[in-house]
Amino acid sequence: MPTSIKPNGQIAGHYGPGELATVVFERDIGEAGHYPFTRGVHADMYRGRLWTMRQFAGFGTARETNKRFRFLLDQGQSGLSTAFDLPTLMGLDSDDSRSVGEVGRLGVAVDTVDDFHTLFETIDLEQISVSMTINAPAAIVMAFYLAAAQERGFDWKKLRGTIQNDILKEFHAQNEIVFPPEPSVRLVVDLIEFCARYVPQWNTVSISGYHIREAGSTAVQELAFTLADGLHYVDETLRRGLPIDSFAPRLSFFFNAHNDLFEEIAKYRAARRLWAELMRETYGATDPASWKLRFHAQTAGCSLQDRQPEVNLIRVAYQALAAVLGGCQSLHTNSMDETLALPTEHAVTLALRTQQVLAYETGVTKTVDPIGGSYFVESLTQQMHDDAEGYFERIRSYGGMLGAIDAGFFRREIAESAYQYQRSVDQDDNVIVGVNRFVQPDEVRVETLQVDASVENTQVESLRCIKSARSASDVLRTLAEVRQVAAAGGNTFPALIEAAKARVTIGELVKGLADVFGRQSLHEQ
Amino acid sequence: MTTTTDSPTTTPTTGDKPTAHVRIVLAKVGLDGHDRGIKVVARGLRDAGFHVIYGGIWQSPAAVAQAVLDEDAQWLGISLLNGAHLTLIPQVVEALRQRGLLDVRLVLGGIVPPRDIPALTEIGVAAIFGPGTSVAEIAASLQSTSARITNVAELLVSFRQRDRRSLSRLLTMIAAGQQLGDIRDWLHANRPANDASAKNNFRTIAFTGNGGVGKSSLIARLVAELRSQGYTVAVLSCDPQSPITGGALLGDRIRMSDCLPDEGVFIRSLPVTSGSQGIASNLDLMSQALERFGFDIVLIETAGTGQGDIAVRNFADALVLVMQPESGDSIQWEKAGLLEIADVIVVHKSDLPGAERMESELREQLSLPGHHPAALIRVSAAKNTGIPELWEAISHPSFHRVGTAPRVFPKA
Ligand code: B12
Ligand SMILES: Nc1nc2c(ncn2[C@@H]2O[C@H](COP(=O)(O)OP(=O)(O)OP(=O)(O)O)[C@@H](O)[C@H]2O)c(=O)[nH]1
Ligand SMILES: [Mg+2]
Repeated sequence: MPTSIKPNGQIAGHYGPGELATVVFERDIGEAGHYPFTRGVHADMYRGRLWTMRQFAGFGTARETNKRFRFLLDQGQSGLSTAFDLPTLMGLDSDDSRSVGEVGRLGVAVDTVDDFHTLFETIDLEQISVSMTINAPAAIVMAFYLAAAQERGFDWKKLRGTIQNDILKEFHAQNEIVFPPEPSVRLVVDLIEFCARYVPQWNTVSISGYHIREAGSTAVQELAFTLADGLHYVDETLRRGLPIDSFAPRLSFFFNAHNDLFEEIAKYRAARRLWAELMRETYGATDPASWKLRFHAQTAGCSLQDRQPEVNLIRVAYQALAAVLGGCQSLHTNSMDETLALPTEHAVTLALRTQQVLAYETGVTKTVDPIGGSYFVESLTQQMHDDAEGYFERIRSYGGMLGAIDAGFFRREIAESAYQYQRSVDQDDNVIVGVNRFVQPDEVRVETLQVDASVENTQVESLRCIKSARSASDVLRTLAEVRQVAAAGGNTFPALIEAAKARVTIGELVKGLADVFGRQSLHEQ
Repeated sequence: MTTTTDSPTTTPTTGDKPTAHVRIVLAKVGLDGHDRGIKVVARGLRDAGFHVIYGGIWQSPAAVAQAVLDEDAQWLGISLLNGAHLTLIPQVVEALRQRGLLDVRLVLGGIVPPRDIPALTEIGVAAIFGPGTSVAEIAASLQSTSARITNVAELLVSFRQRDRRSLSRLLTMIAAGQQLGDIRDWLHANRPANDASAKNNFRTIAFTGNGGVGKSSLIARLVAELRSQGYTVAVLSCDPQSPITGGALLGDRIRMSDCLPDEGVFIRSLPVTSGSQGIASNLDLMSQALERFGFDIVLIETAGTGQGDIAVRNFADALVLVMQPESGDSIQWEKAGLLEIADVIVVHKSDLPGAERMESELREQLSLPGHHPAALIRVSAAKNTGIPELWEAISHPSFHRVGTAPRVFPKA
């Protein structure tokens, strides 16, 4: 039983050459490392290099998170991924009245560039790639990162990493929204433009389907909405006057790895093929790097259960297998205590070990795209490819991305799928082990992480010290400059970096920008 | 995981008619944006026959408590997945307490670690529903609970003392058609002394138009404008209820959430049954009750079917017909005869293409013989433009017409 309700088409019991009648091998499948990249972006795939094992981490203060980062690196993790707390994600300072109770709770609390110094202390930013999950205030956080890196003497040209910087899916699914859609997208483009020039190895957007799927979408909706978001960023960056090949190679993607193994594999394959076709045929990109859809995957948090939490380890392992058979470039595996709290050190270690077993023991890395040519998967790939195109058409009928957002199209579609899914579980049409089948009365309790309640005070106090030590006139001057550039329509980055160096806070900068851009209140559908 | 501290009783107390449909307010407080679960629960409860008022994310505890009060809900459901429940839930409880609402049942859903449960039940959380709970299980625990005061005489005494909850209860009784005779008599006997009194600027204004044309968004902007002019405002918002289950998901309030919390604003969501012509019954009495309570202006949002609007026109001071560009709305409303009775016609979403064209077409249409001079205004709630103009048109004396439609509800 598939984990999602497919709007178009059903899964048959048998697949053979008949189902592939319309598929042209050279055109639609090809070889790994070659257009349209259905089989993978690299010719040698994991034979050349394994995917990056990158666990999303962050809680408490920058100091505590720095400790967790170093622990993960010691355990053999190959890249870092930063989770910020809700105040930061919403562009609020730790001392804001709206932040009370939420500082450092779901991620790391940061307010100024000094927190970025602490966060990456002793970590060589020219060696380790760093990912940061932040959206509405992404430009500000990137400016802080670049300012801190410069203050530590690192060369921007050597920095590697990814910033999520994908505001559109916030409007569809994640709800971290500060500014209205138009100025929000403009900030995304500011970052793309600035990094294309000065931080060339940085992935400027992580165009994310993960959140869309977690909010309840089907696999096809995840695929279609994500690519449509990507196309909107491309259009807007082209309007800024950048040539396609100057920025497209640094757009990256982020997909979910859900339970339905073959559906997920087909989704990644269809995504690669669609993106390559769009970039080469529709946008005329000539650099093959622009055609390649590279993606990070995370196993599906929403598939994990409260009951019999250890069973989650097994779900995660299969989901990770789907991501790897689908050719991901980096992977986060969820921890078994997903429904309880942020992961404990023990739980996150098991999650990482799951990837390591997959990479080193199962042999799936030895052959490039071992699934390629499967009647079933190739046919499913074709079907998802076509279904996604159907969604592109529907989005166009709303006058494009912003029109569709305004009309509530994405939120409605996602909420509908989420509800249908819940009903199917409640009616036992979908079996979930331990929830509606194989229920076990005496439950195992697992230990959970508890964020120290003193975090908020510590962070507020350190912010107070920073504020009293900085130059008030520098703060005013650099903030005024940010407002001025925002109003004039220029790239905000140089001004944001200057403000970062003057220890202006995230909250102050967001407020400055909001004075110019306005604020978006979320009106749900 | 479901934790129920004391099982909510499903048997209503003696002598009290159980409310046919349980009213529940659902909302999220704090910065938490995880809304998948609460939206699923909202729809699931609607399909189980509940009247669900979904207040949305990022609500303040005070706004949530005001929603419970004004909506006369028996249950409040909060969803939190951000781990801040030990900070936020006590604030919600305190906001309920300040409004005398501690008898309202509070339930919680989302991520709550077992060690935090005792602290929450201690302050009055009735039940906590975690991941993997079926909607049926939730619906089963949220049945009608407490006895409702139905002694209308008592209610009216406290109503007169400006007890807001009594107003809210009174509206519930009027909506349910209970003791209408007594209430009508009382309202009549207690009407303001004369037309020239301070109350003479009291107005009821009705808004109609197709689903999704932006009536609620427009009303939200108008409420803000009226508040800035010093008026107190009540909104009666009609939304359809399912003909099969009788359940309803009342979604207008969420569009007006930016106006709250504010004691000078009262919002009541009203489910309307199919075949009721798009308006709740006895809207005229509700409007009178709100006036007697002291609200300056009542705004009514109809569910927009056309027929009921003619009835509304009978007691409202002005009828505003809302349309959007490129929709074929104008032809439809012409046929329904509404273009003839509307006082103000709004070309809404004027930020969208086609608004100007629609306006000029309508202008032509309205200048044909047989049409009375309705005002035509272009408005965008999204861009917040045209709102003062809209109010000016609505409050224009020429629209408080005499002769076209007799007023059932006298001003004084
Ligand atoms: C889906 C999800 C997301 C989606 C949310 C999409 C959306 N629009 O809702 C995305 C990917 C965007 C997301 C983002 C984040 N998430 Co998240 N997310 C989850 C996840 C995996 C599932 C939640 C879910 O929707 N489940 C499906 C629904 C149907 O179930 P439910 O919400 O539990 O609801 C059921 C019951 O709880 C109950 N219920 C719920 N509400 C109500 C209300 C009432 C009145 C009643 C009666 C019942 C009820 O009934 C429902 C049906 O059974 C949970 C972990 C988990 N498996 O639970 C983490 C989790 C909640 N997220 C977490 C975190 C940290 C975050 C982020 C802060 C990460 C970051 N630093 O960037 C962001 C914050 C986003 C934001 N704006 O707030 C943590 C929170 C940790 C904690 N509380 O201690 C969790 C627990 C994961 C973890 N272990 O780390 N997330
Ligand atoms: N472009 C544009 N969209 C708007 C405007 N006002 C509202 N909307 C959108 O129109 C949709 C419907 O808005 P509502 O205010 O709920 O409309 P409604 O008429 O009250 O809807 P019902 O109560 O369901 O009949 C939402 O997606 C709003 O975001 C506007 O001025 N411009
Ligand atoms: Mg409405």
